[in-house]
Amino acid sequence: MATTKQSKIVDLDTALSAVEDGMTVGIGGWIFHGQPMALIRGLVRRGARDLRLVPAPGSVAPDMLIGAGCVRETACVFISFEHLGLAPNFRRAAQSGTLGVLEMDGPGIAGGLRAGACDLPYGLIPDLGTDLPTVNPQGYRKARIQEGGRPLLEVPAIKPDIVLLHGQQADEEGNVQYFGSGYFDLLMAQAAKHVICSVDRLVPASTVRHNARLTKIPSAFVHAVVVTPFGAHPGCSPGLYAQDEAHLAAYVAASRDQASFDAYLADHARQAGGEAAYRDRIGANALATLSAGGAVP
Amino acid sequence: MPASTAGFALGEMLAVLLARDMADGEKAIVGTNSDIQVAACNLARQRHAPHLWWVSGPGGMTNPTEGVVRPAADAENIAVAQAVMDLPQMIDFIDWKVHFFDFAILGALQTDRFGNINTVCVGEHARPRLRGPGTVGISALCGLSRRFYIMMTRHDRGAFVPRVDFVCGAGHLEGGSSRTDFGLPEGGPRLAVTPLGVFDFEPASKAMRIRSLHDGVTLEEVRDNTGFDLLVPDTIPRTTPPDTEELFMLRRAVDTTGVLAAKFPWPRAERKAVR
Repeated sequence: MATTKQSKIVDLDTALSAVEDGMTVGIGGWIFHGQPMALIRGLVRRGARDLRLVPAPGSVAPDMLIGAGCVRETACVFISFEHLGLAPNFRRAAQSGTLGVLEMDGPGIAGGLRAGACDLPYGLIPDLGTDLPTVNPQGYRKARIQEGGRPLLEVPAIKPDIVLLHGQQADEEGNVQYFGSGYFDLLMAQAAKHVICSVDRLVPASTVRHNARLTKIPSAFVHAVVVTPFGAHPGCSPGLYAQDEAHLAAYVAASRDQASFDAYLADHARQAGGEAAYRDRIGANALATLSAGGAVP
Repeated sequence: MPASTAGFALGEMLAVLLARDMADGEKAIVGTNSDIQVAACNLARQRHAPHLWWVSGPGGMTNPTEGVVRPAADAENIAVAQAVMDLPQMIDFIDWKVHFFDFAILGALQTDRFGNINTVCVGEHARPRLRGPGTVGISALCGLSRRFYIMMTRHDRGAFVPRVDFVCGAGHLEGGSSRTDFGLPEGGPRLAVTPLGVFDFEPASKAMRIRSLHDGVTLEEVRDNTGFDLLVPDTIPRTTPPDTEELFMLRRAVDTTGVLAAKFPWPRAERKAVR
């Protein structure tokens, strides 16, 4: 558990220095919602290697790390660009066989995270008759206990070394508030050894106390908070700004082959100046439009 | 392709066909990327099933009802919901509990003769020809809900295959009693709705059967576009198209911004227009 005494606010690089090559890294959010993109871009910039990803159902966060060559293996519960199609870099890497894919489903990740959060060796889930145990035998084992006629599977505990999350605001103590749903984020934080949250803004403790119901990740579960305005871009930060459809479409187009995606990364992740340069590149007007709500041109 | 498609979009028709089959007081779950499912549930609530209860799988909002079709995970659903549940708590009834849900509605990359679902890969898993998004909650919803619907926005031999390349949602598995023999609860697919027709599953063999074809669709056309032999009834009914009242309610109370028409036009008509 994290300490609850000092300020949790650190800069991006200090936070990401906890991530070592080969670690198991959980990613929170849901598809285009709350993807911790500033942290992801930071890992790309730092040249992380051989990561083992455990993403909650996601999109551009796992896809960018995979496309940047940071990932040896990923669990896949669901990685999709929804109406924009299949996740382009994940798809290319999986189809070429260069990426290990540990196929999982909702019950598998939920059972595994819950076991991890509870310090139990494995979770028990119903065997739902899928091909998952065939392609991921370590992840789905025939259970020693069977419940009458109902076949059960054991799913090993998931305890990520690092979990990356994005909330909308936090106080110095590291109470992280969400304006939308929490998805798997708290369960991931409970199961993880080390939790890094990016937030769009730092707020006074009084703001957090003003509506404590918004605090989805209490400070005891948080090791580091990084304040990164528009840190979920090009995904959405629920309640603050919409996903950037034009940028996501450009991302998909840039992902048509590795050379083209490398050029995208050179401009959007590996460039000098980090997140400040990224925001400059996207442009104040484009970002403001995403915050303005209503009809986005 | 249906003859009378001018008056409504594919997405609108699918939402209407699904809504008709829902009963008052049922419990349903809507997953991610589910515009047609959201519209179908809210249309049923507006018409014949005011106490239909549905929950957003990703977001946990219950009965988020307003006249705009939004992604089920969106925070904007919170302000129009009756409750907002946390996903780890919802997992208990999504992933473990038998028959908590009366139904779920699922799309797929592939489905087959026995209504199994594949959203994982086309070809071999280790080296797929097409890498799909993955399973998410489909395994649990196909396995544990009382029934499910297969909602396909394309009907061709790539999507309707003899046997799915990867079972991520169990339908009737190998047919007959194989689903319950495996130890899964009673249930499985009830209907498949597609751009060509509505299909059900013959009670004994559990093989897919034509229930109705949309106006203007021929038996030959549906056979040409299905990769296995469909069971064919002696007389093939015509699908009752959406009527003016259904479309009025859909457009004035459920989908006032026209999301379904914009995102789900008739596939071939669109291709013809592009040529």
